[in-house]
Amino acid sequence: MQQQDKYRIALLSAFALGLHGFENLLPSPIPWLRFGLANIVTLITLLLYGMRPAVMVTLIRVMLASLIAGSFLGPAFILSLGGGIASTLVMGFVLHIAPRLFSTMGLSIIGALFHNLAQLFLAYFLFIQRIEAILLITPVIILFGTLTGTVNGVVSALLMKNLIKYDQKVQNVNEIK
Amino acid sequence: MSLKELFHNTTLADRILFSLMIVLSLSGIAFIKEILPDNFTVHIYADGYPAYILPLDKNRVVSVEGPQGKTVVEIKDHQVRIIESPCHNKLCIQTGWVRSGAVLCLPNRIVVTLGDPDKHKKTVDATTG
Repeated sequence: MQQQDKYRIALLSAFALGLHGFENLLPSPIPWLRFGLANIVTLITLLLYGMRPAVMVTLIRVMLASLIAGSFLGPAFILSLGGGIASTLVMGFVLHIAPRLFSTMGLSIIGALFHNLAQLFLAYFLFIQRIEAILLITPVIILFGTLTGTVNGVVSALLMKNLIKYDQKVQNVNEIK
Repeated sequence: MSLKELFHNTTLADRILFSLMIVLSLSGIAFIKEILPDNFTVHIYADGYPAYILPLDKNRVVSVEGPQGKTVVEIKDHQVRIIESPCHNKLCIQTGWVRSGAVLCLPNRIVVTLGDPDKHKKTVDATTG
């Protein structure tokens, strides 16, 4: 890994961590329901720099956020880690297999969906071993996940446009979709 | 860059995915309760008061204290039966395994119901004995 990549990952992780922290301050009707704003940074990293930096950024963000919040290795940490890794891997996979099929918006929705599915899966196997409870909550979570995923997708698309428009010379962006 | 322009930049696959997710989750919310069987829990009442609420998919044996003594209830393989009771005619034991509905021991005032009794408002009107 090049020195420049390390700086980029550090900067992007800081952005993700900031959004993650900001998100914790927002009031939420259900404790589980979150916007997943940090997914914007993950998605941008994935689109600009590829799979490995995106996974790195997600790992660093989840670890540091849980260390700061004091939930390291707790249930919230495991759910957050599983969801983050799953969504990043699936988004990277879809982007690799069919780069032109989905736009930024679609990728964001896929990311949100797999984030939720991984969390529900982990919650079932580790914490709540009652399938009917999980099945009851799944459609609600997926509905809100799709909506927040769409909002994140809109933000990501706008951000990508502006990054490409203004920063092409400064940021030597190697791959632009 | 307006939102309208943003919408035009989405691909067909995006829109199909979005609509599919919304429709699936909404129909999921609407129909999931119909699909799930409702007798997932066992409610045990002793002398009219709830004593236990247990999942039906975990095998276990519990004993409940009634006015005449201990009644032992067994949950196994999604079935329920009473295996021990202090009452004299042992009708509750003769009822055997039950998959839905209820097992009663009226002399000892034990009611074992499967499923949520409040869900369909089918509660026991009165007990005698």
